Amino acid sequence: MKTVLSRESIHLVERDGTVHVVAEEYFYKTESYYTILSHEIHGIPVAPGSSAVLDAYIVPLCLERAGSAGIPVADCTISHSCAQYPAVLYGLNYFASSSEYSVVRDSARGKETVRHITNNGKYPLCYQRLAEGENIEGHVAIFGKSCPEDDDIRGYARSLYEVFGIPLVTMVYVRGEDGARLSSLAPTRYSSLSNAEKTLLRAYITHQEFL
Amino acid sequence: MSRLGIFVDRKTLSSAEQLNALIRCRDAAESMDHSAEFIFPGDIKKIPQMDALFIRARTDPMNVTYVASRTASSSGIPVIDDPSSIQICSDKINMYCHLKKHGVAIPPTEFLSKKEMSPSAIRDLFERMGSPLVLKEPSTSFSLRVEKVRDASEFQRVARRFIRMSDWIVVQGFVESRYDWRIGVLDGEMIYACMYTIPSDTFKIQDSVNGHVVYCGVESIPPGDVPGEVIRLGIDAANAIGDGLYGVDIKNSNGDACVIEVNDNPSLEGGEDSLYPQVYEKIISYLLER
Repeated sequence: MKTVLSRESIHLVERDGTVHVVAEEYFYKTESYYTILSHEIHGIPVAPGSSAVLDAYIVPLCLERAGSAGIPVADCTISHSCAQYPAVLYGLNYFASSSEYSVVRDSARGKETVRHITNNGKYPLCYQRLAEGENIEGHVAIFGKSCPEDDDIRGYARSLYEVFGIPLVTMVYVRGEDGARLSSLAPTRYSSLSNAEKTLLRAYITHQEFL
Repeated sequence: MSRLGIFVDRKTLSSAEQLNALIRCRDAAESMDHSAEFIFPGDIKKIPQMDALFIRARTDPMNVTYVASRTASSSGIPVIDDPSSIQICSDKINMYCHLKKHGVAIPPTEFLSKKEMSPSAIRDLFERMGSPLVLKEPSTSFSLRVEKVRDASEFQRVARRFIRMSDWIVVQGFVESRYDWRIGVLDGEMIYACMYTIPSDTFKIQDSVNGHVVYCGVESIPPGDVPGEVIRLGIDAANAIGDGLYGVDIKNSNGDACVIEVNDNPSLEGGEDSLYPQVYEKIISYLLER
């Protein structure tokens, strides 16, 4: 029977003595976060860890850890304003999500976006400068496997899985002339997966990934 | 001479009490021949140049204080509050799990998840735990999202509100008392004690009553006047979390002391430590001289 990847469903996959929690997202205080926490409290090996998912979804920490693992990362500045455009902007507060970023090309629009992201200057933001012509692209990684044609992205997916242990994640990159730099890690809706990705994820969930 | 970074944000600097407390901290560092400088969110890259970091802004894993704490920790710099303490104390589910695991006395406490919430589950909770119950949204601070409920309809109304912010909520038996003990613990030792007197028209240390915010009274208490079991419980509760700085809230109204919560980043601006003039020296010594 086909594994149902219904919205918000959580799948527990035991491999090599560790329980892998497969979920669309791992935000703080969500069902998946508390599933991880419950395992940790009871001393059951679990992946990803609760502190790893916090790091993964907080952009400056994500980039710090990814950069330490040798993955090219975007320069990231924490501030209450954005000094240079074009840039990609992320909120850094209780209500922010790494899946909600803004690409801003000019200062006129930037001002309004910054006001929104910082809640009128109440919270800081983090921004990543973009060079002219650079764009944002996303790639899904499933247990460290990603299917783009770019060898680098496939390698980064493996490394990010080693760092954070997140079974299902969207890697957001800044694509420039020199290649791709990690911008953030974001949650992934099952409904956004391609058929090939769904097949791969189902294979992992049912322990048939070797097929 | 070592460099102490004191991480602050705009909110920390918005009250005279907070400013006075920060100045006392800086003065204490300087009297110990260390330098102290304030670090704002935009200066986070300076943290690796410090010898220690003391966070004096509202901590939460979802805000910039956690980035500051992780930055210090990954640079090998002693930090109060450390990332693990922030992660545990900012989330009451996590905090109560740690207290339960270490056998620390707390009121009857259960967790209810969004997917489990149903009329029969609520009925069962009242039958098992009695009435009234106290519901807590896990990341609440200053009792903001803590409500007392007496029946199923009140429970549902409050729980629905809290469930929008967290997939799990805390359900706790109500413990009557007119005051809370606050035991300040650093590295497993009590460094101050005070009493928070709960305003007469509420059961919380801070509440909005008829549109007015009412605050608890704060009275610093000398160590000899604090019951021994309260001190021991405070230290046990802090040790269940880590070896940093914590403010442990304890109710002891009928002799059965129990921990209401363990706070990282405890307030020191309300007179909590007025009978303990060495508090900042002890914190600075812990951070810079161990």
